[in-house]
Amino acid sequence: MQSNQNSLSPQPSLDVARRYFLRDCGYGLGKMALASLLTGNANRIACAASSTAPLAVRQPHFEPSAKRVIQLFMAGAPSQLELFDEKPLLTKLEGSPLPPSVIGDQRYAFIRSDASVLGPRFKFAKHGESGAEVSEALPHLSKIVDDICMIRSVHTDQFNHAPAQLFFNTGFGQPGRPSLGSWVLYGLGAETENLPAYVVMTNSGGLSGGAALWSSGFLPTLYTGTPFRSQGDPILNVSTPPGISQQQQQATYSLINDLNRERLGAVGDPEIATRMASFEMAARLQTSAPELMDLSSESKATLDLYGVNPAKPSFARSCLLARRMIERGVRFANVYHNGWDAHSNVEGNVKNNAKATDQASAALVTDLKQRGLLDDTLVVWGGEFGRTPMVETNPALGRSLGRDHHPQAYTVWMAGGGIRSGMSIGKTDEFGFNIVEDPIHVHDLQATILHCLGFDHEKLTYHHAGRDFRLTDVHGHVVRQILS
Amino acid sequence: MIRHKNITIARQLHSLWIIVTIVTAHPHSVSAADEVSFSRDIRPLLSGKCFACHGPDEEAREAALRLDSFQAATRDDSGTPAITPGKSSTSELVRRILSNDPDEQMPPPSSNKSLSVEQKKLLVRWIDSGAKYEQHWSFIPPSKPELPFVKNAEWPSNEIDRFILARLEAEGLGPAEAAVTRTLIRRVFLDLIGLQPTPKEADHWVNQLSAADGQFNEEAYAELVDHLLSLPQYGERWGRRWLDLARYADTNGYEKDRDRTMWPYRDWVIRALNADMPFDQFTIEQVAGDMLPGSTIDQRIATGFHRNTMLNEEGGIDPLEFRFYAMTDRVATTGTTWLGLTTGCCQCHTHKYDPITHREYYGLMAFLNNADEPDLNLPDPAAETRFQKNLIEADKLLAELPRHWPAKDEEDRMASLETAFTKWLATERPLAVDWQVMVPSSLKSNFPHLTVQDDGSIFASGDTTKFDTYELGFADVPAGATTIRLEALPDDRLPAHGPGSTYYEGRKGDFFLNEISVTLDGQPVTIKSASHSYAKNQFGKNPVTAALTIDGDYQTGWSAAGRPGERSVAVYVLSEPLPAGKTLDVKMTFGRHFASSFGRFRLSASSTSGDIVAREWSPEIERLLQIDDELLTDVQRQRLKNEFLLNASQLAEHTKKIRDLRRRPAWIDIPVLAERPSENPRPTFLHDRGEYLQPKDRIDARVPEALHPFPLDAPKNRLEFARWLVSRDNPLTARVVANRHWAAFFGTGLVKTLDDFGMQGEMPSHPKLLDWLAVSLMDEGWSIKRLHRKIVLTSTYRQTSDFPKSDSTPRVARQTGLSETRLLARFPRTRLEAEVIRDVVMKSAGLLSLKQGGPPVRPPQPDGISEASFGRPKWKASTGEDRHRRSVYTYQKRTAPFAMLTTFDAPSGEACIARRDVSNTALQALTLLNDEMFLEAARALGKLLAESPGGDRSRIESAFARVLTRPPSESETTRLLAFVTDQRSVIRVEYQAARIVEFEHAVKEARRKEAARKKAAEEKAAAAKKAAEAAAARDSLPGKSTAKPDKQDSAETKPNESGENSSPGKTDTKPKIPIPTEPKPVDEDAVELDVWTNVARALFSLDETLTKN
Repeated sequence: MQSNQNSLSPQPSLDVARRYFLRDCGYGLGKMALASLLTGNANRIACAASSTAPLAVRQPHFEPSAKRVIQLFMAGAPSQLELFDEKPLLTKLEGSPLPPSVIGDQRYAFIRSDASVLGPRFKFAKHGESGAEVSEALPHLSKIVDDICMIRSVHTDQFNHAPAQLFFNTGFGQPGRPSLGSWVLYGLGAETENLPAYVVMTNSGGLSGGAALWSSGFLPTLYTGTPFRSQGDPILNVSTPPGISQQQQQATYSLINDLNRERLGAVGDPEIATRMASFEMAARLQTSAPELMDLSSESKATLDLYGVNPAKPSFARSCLLARRMIERGVRFANVYHNGWDAHSNVEGNVKNNAKATDQASAALVTDLKQRGLLDDTLVVWGGEFGRTPMVETNPALGRSLGRDHHPQAYTVWMAGGGIRSGMSIGKTDEFGFNIVEDPIHVHDLQATILHCLGFDHEKLTYHHAGRDFRLTDVHGHVVRQILS
Repeated sequence: MIRHKNITIARQLHSLWIIVTIVTAHPHSVSAADEVSFSRDIRPLLSGKCFACHGPDEEAREAALRLDSFQAATRDDSGTPAITPGKSSTSELVRRILSNDPDEQMPPPSSNKSLSVEQKKLLVRWIDSGAKYEQHWSFIPPSKPELPFVKNAEWPSNEIDRFILARLEAEGLGPAEAAVTRTLIRRVFLDLIGLQPTPKEADHWVNQLSAADGQFNEEAYAELVDHLLSLPQYGERWGRRWLDLARYADTNGYEKDRDRTMWPYRDWVIRALNADMPFDQFTIEQVAGDMLPGSTIDQRIATGFHRNTMLNEEGGIDPLEFRFYAMTDRVATTGTTWLGLTTGCCQCHTHKYDPITHREYYGLMAFLNNADEPDLNLPDPAAETRFQKNLIEADKLLAELPRHWPAKDEEDRMASLETAFTKWLATERPLAVDWQVMVPSSLKSNFPHLTVQDDGSIFASGDTTKFDTYELGFADVPAGATTIRLEALPDDRLPAHGPGSTYYEGRKGDFFLNEISVTLDGQPVTIKSASHSYAKNQFGKNPVTAALTIDGDYQTGWSAAGRPGERSVAVYVLSEPLPAGKTLDVKMTFGRHFASSFGRFRLSASSTSGDIVAREWSPEIERLLQIDDELLTDVQRQRLKNEFLLNASQLAEHTKKIRDLRRRPAWIDIPVLAERPSENPRPTFLHDRGEYLQPKDRIDARVPEALHPFPLDAPKNRLEFARWLVSRDNPLTARVVANRHWAAFFGTGLVKTLDDFGMQGEMPSHPKLLDWLAVSLMDEGWSIKRLHRKIVLTSTYRQTSDFPKSDSTPRVARQTGLSETRLLARFPRTRLEAEVIRDVVMKSAGLLSLKQGGPPVRPPQPDGISEASFGRPKWKASTGEDRHRRSVYTYQKRTAPFAMLTTFDAPSGEACIARRDVSNTALQALTLLNDEMFLEAARALGKLLAESPGGDRSRIESAFARVLTRPPSESETTRLLAFVTDQRSVIRVEYQAARIVEFEHAVKEARRKEAARKKAAEEKAAAAKKAAEAAAARDSLPGKSTAKPDKQDSAETKPNESGENSSPGKTDTKPKIPIPTEPKPVDEDAVELDVWTNVARALFSLDETLTKN
């Protein structure tokens, strides 16, 4: 009878399991390889088609430039006109409407198309060797412009938050499609056995797109992003409940393991071994999650670089955690910051949100670079759409000096993982309304991100509902100009 | 050239044959002697490798070649037909598939769809044998097949078994042994009612099922099955499966994801299944219950099926765009649920694999598209009764109002009231206006359908947009009119009874009139002033007034938020009286960031001079005010008096109560469908590339040509479409339904792709059995309970799920490579669904409430799950039995689904799901072990066990019986006994340690308190001493009293902090606070509770607990 810690080790169950695995090679393969993966023996089981294992490490289509992704998603849509895209003409035009020929038949969420122009609320300056223009609202980013690639010509199909957030993260404006992170996991498998491979962190408020933003859609559910909560257990139920000691917990794990093993012997279903493996991973998670969250091993210099108060949940803390996660093998970390939806007082909005995100976003790039991780880690920063050159003023809603949603043109920046640094691409017209040079659709960004990870976005497909689906639907072109 | 080609082909064919010969030696491949079957071998090949470019979709078709029909593939347009039947050597297709030239090779190397040698060989053989095409199996109507012959005639219990066994025998396999009776009982309980039996139930049925001779008692088993089928829990278990298809949720989805009252639909489903409503009727009521003659409330509630689509309430969306997406969802859901066809592809283009064209897709949509989406106001009977009582009470209070009139005495009261009333009449009468209703002679709008009602008001129906414009023409303008009145009127047909048509984002029934303008023969009429009877802005405090509807700013306007179902009035005073004989046009524009037009309204004019101001009067009161005093009847006078009393500021506190009593209770608003009236049908358009902004041709309702024809004489509407879905001629529906139910019992469908019976779907493992089931289902009146009964009574179902003991190689069928699981050579073990897992745990812990129906409930879950969604709604866990209701009643929020259910693969209700994924993850393990809800259940079970009589052994047995429905094995008992013994000592030691810590803390605390007490006592004594000395010093002075101060007296008897008396002036040496001398004893009951709680946690986590064995 085992009641010590040894019984948490995967070995005893695995030997039993392996016999069944091998016997069962013709079917139930996915399960089998999952079990092997979860138990940390991914490569030891010889089975020809083990590439069908849902979480086994898989090779992409070609040599990747990035092995992992940190996505800093700016929910609510930051104003590119206050941050990245300098349009002095708007100051001159302030108070008068844009020519109707510019606006075309664009639908708006709140304003009507004849709304007056609002000049930028911040000053811009050139920075770094690349001379990239960034507004004074982003003093930290200004210092690292030579490490990033600024894309000022992103456009999207959607002009409302939930659909546009879904579109950016899943390639479709309605819930139900797999998220970018899920596709990546489906394509590459998981490297970590102690943490979820696809992690989602949210800060400052609920998200319009909700849980569909990290859903696996029609892909198997185990590709779903795992939310790391900012308070309480980082992973749901990862702590032993109060009143139950570590010793009791260990003994309980051990009991479950023994009873399951006996059952496996009696019934012979390899699925039982998979279940056992999932408990083994749970036990590991119970240790690895607190270790991940414990920032005491980080130097003061690092904490200061990010501006992190280790005791307080914040965007900065999430950025630092994202770095710790990828160091521990997490494949895809998505950090959401919400609050950029500046329908009123765009100036105050940008100030507040820049204060919450600028330092840590820049710090993440710097920190990754210092640690030699930036080369194969792709960082993506941006929101679901841009904001209008026209002002949003609405007496019935009590709004003034805001900007409405603008799908035609906005800015996203990327860094590391095979993206050229110190470069800017894309140009908008003098109103900041339409793109005049290098338009880059959200599907193009998605194609490019997959490309960096070694995938031909047209070939990373999944058969569902009678056809092959992909992240980029039937669209998307890799933006080769920004590849290093 | 041609000659040269043929030589090349011949060469290639030759080399191919060499390879083929080698390949055919492999036992799993189709042997040369086998006939090539188009359905089995060729169509999947063509469909998977060729149809994307050479299939039904014209848009995507390459080289004008289609290979999906014999005619097209053999057509000889250009001299080289793709297929020459019987002659592979002259078939262009063969030349291309054998070519090594990347420019010629098919499928093109870039497509990633290469053919294997064996596949090439199959195609060649098929062409050589005549290239026979067959209709896709699922489009051929099923006929009842003959029962196959079986060698082992003893084994089959009914017809189903014959099919299964015949197949097993053909594959050289045999069935497994029967399952252990207890296992079978648990299995059939889980399958039919989604719950395990209690130990008592299990024991009872084990006895019943064991016949006297030790044999299995078939009759008793049938009795058990009938018993389970009759339980109300049956509908809950099977209802949940249907709700997956119905994409049921309790919220609207998308950003705001607000609550909706969908649960009456959920309860309808459960009731219908419990009543074994025939599936055809079940279908018709859900698709078109509103159109059945004399449709009942239940039949209208049933149409909630297609109201389960999401509703985007995000500010600023285009509502018609998201309505279009809801329509595409309805078509897709209908395709999956009934036809087993993936219609989604055809939203954008003709299906690449299945015979459904782009136009036919929108033809299907047209059937479903002609419905409005109102709320059915279900009265809450209790609230209605209360309301009737309230009205009576209000009348009583109204009659009593005069008594509350402020006055010195009774006599004065009546007099003073009369005086006030007379004065009121004198003030109000001149303000009353004789309004002439203006009936429009022309009505125009950008989208809504405007119709004039009997009372001259205008009703807007149909769809409304974010910015609507109404233009009304009046041929006969009352001459001399100086004022126009606009009444926003309630109407039962409107959201929340109007007066506005707002149905999302804003409050239901709101309106926002942003501008109104009047022209006379095209010339603008100046409006001098505007007033309203009531105005309120739903968003913030900024004003919304009638005056803002004439300020030229479309962002400002008039709204009357917060008064659904009530009338509000605006009055516009013109600068000049209107001349006679001219045409007056009134234009109104509506809308803010959501659709907010009038649903019902009326215009009137008056020639009364003076600046008329809008009043809150009802039309009746305003009319009465225009009657001369002497002509008023007593009743009319009393009406006016009541009006006066109700508005008298002197009675405000009393009248408020009356108004509250008169406020009618909210209805339960249930989303339903209502077919549009024939005068205002909704057109359906083909959308280019499926895009909302690209509507093209108008499309009439029609069904795909490849399917059974629509009855010629039937109207092309939703009801007839529903009947068409369940028509006997439909080759798909009965198969799709039978297959889905089969999969519910056996884990996998006979057709594995439950949602795809098209060319890309899998072929059935037992085609004849599927047809037999489908035809029987229809023959037996579409009874689902009969189907279930038939299935669970089979020997197939009653097999053991244990894997064969020997270490033999897996038994794979010779012919098709199907596993023994697919062939049902034993019962397949499957993991339970999320809801069943939770329910099983709750039941084993004795917590499960069997209360049925009603609004959704919230079992406990950790903070922070619902908070990730918009507005960060808090999760307020239900209390009492609602914490432990069956999982089908758990509140389903789309953007933040209940975490435990999601963790175990339950869907979020955002799309129609025919088959749930089954994952096996660490998060599941963490949930079972650590989640608050499971811990609560473990504590409850732990308590039951700890308190049950008998020793550890019997408690372990009891735990197994409750959770697993079986006794533990001897080794399991041994292991658990060891665990219990170990835990008992571990936990006792932990408690002891805790007690010691407690003890040390208590000692420290007592010492600290004692020291403080001592110090205080000493200080007090010192102070008292000092005071005494001072007093003594005073006393020694002449003329002072020697009496002791009162204070000190009381101080002497007042208990001090430690509850003891202290006597000042004395030195206190005895410790007054007791110092604990030993730790408290360990509470043995608490130890036992913890021990057995851990046993329960472990049992809940076992693979067996989560599995149907």
